[in-house]
Amino acid sequence: MIDKQTYLDKVNSATNANELESVRIELLGRNGLINKLFSDIKNQPDPKTYGLELNSLKEEIEKLISSKKFSSEIRNLKLEIRNSQFSLPKLGHLHPLTITERQLNDVFRKLGFSIYNSPEIVTDEYNFQRLNVPSNHPARDMQDSIYIKQPEYLLRTQTSTIESYLLQKENHNLPIRAAFPGSVYRNEKVNRSNHFVFHQYQAVVVDKNITMKDLIGTMDLMFKTLYGQDVVVRYRCKYYPEVEPGVGPDMQCFNCHGKGCPLCKHAGWIEMGGSGMIHPKVLEMAGIDSKIYSGFAFGMGLDRWTMAQNNITDIRALMGGNLAYKPNKL
Amino acid sequence: MKLIYSHLQTFLPDLTVTPQKLRDDLTMIGHFCNFYEEIDGEIVFDLDIKVNRGDCLGYYGLAKDLSIYYDLKLSHFTDYELRFTDYQLPITITSPDVLRVMCLQLSQIKVGESPDWLSKFVRIHGVNSVNNVVDLTNYIMFLYGIPNHAFDTAKTGKNLIWENNHGKTSNFTTLDGTVFNLSAENLVISNPQEVVSTDFVGGKNSGTYDSTQEIIIEVAIYNPVRIRIDSREHKTVTEAGIRLEKNLDCNLIPQAIKHLAVLITDLTGAKISSDLFDYYLAPVIPPQIAFDPQLPSIISGINIPTEFALDIVAKVSHRPDLNIAEDLAEEVIRFYGYNNIPTTEPLHFKEVKNITPKIINLIEQIKDQMVSEGYDEVLTWPLVSTASDPKTAIKTENGINTEVVYLRQNMITSLKLQLEQYQKYKLPHPKFFEIGKIYYQENGNYVEKYALGKYDGQNFSETILDDLDKPDTYLPKAINNHAIELTSQIVTLDANVTSIESPEKIISHYQSLIPDNILWSIEITDHYQDKYTFRVCYFNCDDKTAKKIHLRTFGLDKINL
Repeated sequence: MIDKQTYLDKVNSATNANELESVRIELLGRNGLINKLFSDIKNQPDPKTYGLELNSLKEEIEKLISSKKFSSEIRNLKLEIRNSQFSLPKLGHLHPLTITERQLNDVFRKLGFSIYNSPEIVTDEYNFQRLNVPSNHPARDMQDSIYIKQPEYLLRTQTSTIESYLLQKENHNLPIRAAFPGSVYRNEKVNRSNHFVFHQYQAVVVDKNITMKDLIGTMDLMFKTLYGQDVVVRYRCKYYPEVEPGVGPDMQCFNCHGKGCPLCKHAGWIEMGGSGMIHPKVLEMAGIDSKIYSGFAFGMGLDRWTMAQNNITDIRALMGGNLAYKPNKL
Repeated sequence: MKLIYSHLQTFLPDLTVTPQKLRDDLTMIGHFCNFYEEIDGEIVFDLDIKVNRGDCLGYYGLAKDLSIYYDLKLSHFTDYELRFTDYQLPITITSPDVLRVMCLQLSQIKVGESPDWLSKFVRIHGVNSVNNVVDLTNYIMFLYGIPNHAFDTAKTGKNLIWENNHGKTSNFTTLDGTVFNLSAENLVISNPQEVVSTDFVGGKNSGTYDSTQEIIIEVAIYNPVRIRIDSREHKTVTEAGIRLEKNLDCNLIPQAIKHLAVLITDLTGAKISSDLFDYYLAPVIPPQIAFDPQLPSIISGINIPTEFALDIVAKVSHRPDLNIAEDLAEEVIRFYGYNNIPTTEPLHFKEVKNITPKIINLIEQIKDQMVSEGYDEVLTWPLVSTASDPKTAIKTENGINTEVVYLRQNMITSLKLQLEQYQKYKLPHPKFFEIGKIYYQENGNYVEKYALGKYDGQNFSETILDDLDKPDTYLPKAINNHAIELTSQIVTLDANVTSIESPEKIISHYQSLIPDNILWSIEITDHYQDKYTFRVCYFNCDDKTAKKIHLRTFGLDKINL
């Protein structure tokens, strides 16, 4: 007779996964006790009964082992539960700015736009002059630049600088549809609400017969995609040297719905960026015939919107700060 | 700029719109008005006047815009009968930076306190009330947007000279006692002995005092580039400088000086004692612009009647900032109303050449790949405090954040700082990456390359993406949760509990007991039969609070009792 209980007790005595595995090898391994007992079958008076009993024991041991769950298997429990909800392995997180950029890229890719970029260290020519801002133009006060080598080389202060590269470089590839997220730099002290580096998104179209109606309709589509169908945006006259006419989109304050509150500085509206029809001089400087082609450009800041979306109150958190990601909920 | 409703009515007597409508309409036609408020019984608007509209840094320019928009009559102050004498002021202009100067001498003046309306006006505009003469010069500046000045002839003499300094004077003391080191090109007003004023701020002896009996008033417009250079050189911003560096209308000077003279004679009992001096060597002639009345419709995409377009162009064509047909078209569209352009007709898809650089697709692909491998994306500062390789480093020249002056030469330096942040807040298991630019100099050129830096929980590594193959594909994006800003360290606590419920049920149960705003994560780290070990990370609370909630949640406080 085989003393089953002795073997089952061995299994039950294991207190963790490692011990259980040792017991499994000891009992069920190639040179384990069960196999040894099987090899002894021919010496038994009743080999048939002995064999049946042994098979039954083997099954019982296997069942008992598989019924025991130890930490090494359970450590992945969190992952298993998560999988059941999200059907994906554990994921990292894209930066919130990347997510906003991709939302916008998706809008524009669907309209046939390319995604573009250009250098961040630029010349005065591309950052200012080609955007209709000559030396000593008061519009230069709107942007305090960080210079690499004064007065020629600086860090780009706006994504319109990418536009001046784009128009110059692709002037033989008309019509142009391009959108570009980009880091831009201003000589600002870093604090809770200002940073020397921030992020803008710009879209540019150059084609025949482009009008303000195209500009305003496309901007409205973008705002509705980002903020929902109920968003109210007004389009007003606004000055930028690189466009003529200039258009300023303002979104009705989502907090007070236009009544005026501290968030919108009591205006009822929040400025959403700048846009306009590309100034004929800007097109001509890029070698594009403004008598045949027209175009629009619009740009907006990404940081504020992204912060609002994620309840981030300090701009420093976005860049190299204490930004973290909440794990997926179980 | 501040705008007092009742004073705007000086030029627009028929203006009756509500303040709210005026605020919205000013904004729609390009003069952004954040808010209006009541100050000393006056309704005051706060306007953001753009740099191209120097004329609207005065009430007159804004009134002109509104007279067109509301189709209201504009009152001018051109009907004054001023009696000049034969005395010719001994004034000389030698600087080519002077576009126009008008001067007039007033005698038997009685300087005194300003009447209430005047002192209130200047005060609302952020200027201290000095005396009736100085306040009136400021009043005229705010009304017409053109700076002007009154010189006490007893202090400065009458032989005023507008000239470039040419080394005549080095040290110049302003009215408020600041000392300028004048350079040769600076535009100044001087007498044969000394400089009495610069082009944008007056000198210490250029004021008007209680003892003043005779003044020369001047209204002038200069080369705006000269003003800009001079004021930047001396790092001084004045109300006069802000206006003079814009394109102002020289043809408005006669009206401004006459208005000033009338007000001073009325308020101080002064008498005009000279002829009107007028230097206007090269009168500004508005450019001839060929204008197609269809152009506003072509640009806007909506039909704007030709008669409307021509009417607007006739009303605005005098403005110095309008130089090309598109400028005029903008005026027409602005007064026609941007809100008449539909918002529901976006561009539709059109196949144009794809000019997306391959590196952009590669970056998107790598980001997705990193996220799928469990990495979180971070963005760090492109400016760092030290140069990894001083020979090739690129340094900023004027950055005001003096502790970070070098453009980073690798990603790892920045990522190490990020890890320090995470360690400070005790973030569990940080594993992150960044794709950004690195910068260096090579053969006298500035080089920028995209690089991937990552921290896998143990090691940092970096790959320069511009040096890799560039597959041109775009993978679907991964699922992402919202980021948050860590405002407190994460407190991690364990608990052993016994339960016959399934792991899914029991974890949901305990999760529901912990307030969501302090729960960072909850997980089962061990499970044996009916015994579970939980690990809970708390944030937005201190150690004590976390412990209290933890004990309460898992019923451990009762056990201790």
